[in-house]
Amino acid sequence: MNKEEIFALITKHAGEVIPRLEQHDFQWTDSLRALGANSIDRSEIVMMTLEVMELDIPLAETIRAENIGELAALLHSKSVGAQA
Amino acid sequence: MNVFAGTASVDVEKLAMHRGLDMTRFSNLLMKEKTVALPYEDPITFGVNAAKPLIDALSPEEKDRIEVVITCTESAFDFGKSMSTYFHSLLGLNRNCRLFELKNACYSGIAGLQTAINFILSGVSPGAKVLLIATDISRFMVEEGGEGLTEDWSFFEPSSGAGAVAALISEIPHVFQVDVGASGYYGYEVMDTCRPAPDKEAGDADLSLLSYLDCCEKAFLEYQKRVEGADLSATFGYLAMHTPFGGMVKGAHRNIMRKIAKARPAEIEADFDRRVQPSLNYCQRVGNIMGASTLMAIASAIDHGDFGTSQRIGCFSYGSGCCSEFFSGVAGQEGQSRLRAQNIKQHLDRRYELTMEEYDELLVTNNTVKFGTRNVVLDAEFIPQARTAHGKPTLFLKEIKEFHREYDWVS
Repeated sequence: MNKEEIFALITKHAGEVIPRLEQHDFQWTDSLRALGANSIDRSEIVMMTLEVMELDIPLAETIRAENIGELAALLHSKSVGAQA
Repeated sequence: MNVFAGTASVDVEKLAMHRGLDMTRFSNLLMKEKTVALPYEDPITFGVNAAKPLIDALSPEEKDRIEVVITCTESAFDFGKSMSTYFHSLLGLNRNCRLFELKNACYSGIAGLQTAINFILSGVSPGAKVLLIATDISRFMVEEGGEGLTEDWSFFEPSSGAGAVAALISEIPHVFQVDVGASGYYGYEVMDTCRPAPDKEAGDADLSLLSYLDCCEKAFLEYQKRVEGADLSATFGYLAMHTPFGGMVKGAHRNIMRKIAKARPAEIEADFDRRVQPSLNYCQRVGNIMGASTLMAIASAIDHGDFGTSQRIGCFSYGSGCCSEFFSGVAGQEGQSRLRAQNIKQHLDRRYELTMEEYDELLVTNNTVKFGTRNVVLDAEFIPQARTAHGKPTLFLKEIKEFHREYDWVS
């Protein structure tokens, strides 16, 4: 899965967790927090994404991502690492 | 065991609106009320008021067999002197007794429980009992003329409660029989939430939530490794977990059910209502009582569940910093009857509900009892309705005299 696909996955899950974001035009620099996702919502979005990616990493490691683009990049680097 | 959750509370939704928090996603935090510690209440008054009915029900001979008092807390007011010494004195216990205090954020209560159980199982003093008191409070304060509330409070303020759970641990378990050796523990160093200075709580709510979720999964997997045939869906009639707020437990349950039990969303929702909700009822009305939270969740599960036939309860404790444990025990009809006799629900109903004006006034008054207070006489006229809320003798802090705390019973 490339970074763009992971980004699409995160934004799809964001729309599922917070229905009013379904039609939102997501940017790579968008922050889930700024879009109104609380900590429970954000963890849910990350967990759903990891499940589809079949990636098993500590959730606490995803805390470093400041926006959706960074989160996609971080999950991508972890998935590449996991395959290697 | 027994729960004491103070004499005053606030409605959390009213508080959140009063603070102007974003209400659109507030309901999924699953919080209703929280106990507020008044200036004349401290971790000792909470603990004694929780333990008193248990001690009063013992014969003098049984009472003399309490050989250990363990206080589990992150709210102590002294770095050296243990709060167990106050409990020992105020409850009139035998002097041939070990007294100590234990800290590991919200894990302290379960660390204390396991320590107590290991003392009983060691068989070194047959017939001895341990008095376990998990007691924690949070006090928010503003300096007069200060900057007021900072943004950091938005998460902690509505969820931080105050309360204590007391339990007698002996070789004859009446309420809850812990499964010997059935424990999966998991810990590592992480800077999620902490109390880095007196009267200050700090933290990263996101990191704490994620660490809790990670630990819940890893601790259960370790439990499963040690307990042959353990199955997340089938082994436990109920689940009782550390509850900073209900929404966190819901997230953790969803995560482990999805990953470990491979359950579908509708199934997970039904399972949550059936196996988890009973444990949340008290936590939703008291707030996060840190070290005492998992024990209160167990009490809530036993009070609200169906124990017509004995049920195994899967328990999870998480303390920031961090350490966590998944363990289990069994409760039956006798345990439920004994616990219900403590009337915990009625106790919560009787707390005085503070208005927002009274609550804000309290944030200033709290300065009179800040950490390190050497001398003060507490104002018994402050929120007088709370002092008689329970209609029975209740212990309150009367005075701090040269750092020593003095208490009296008010009825």
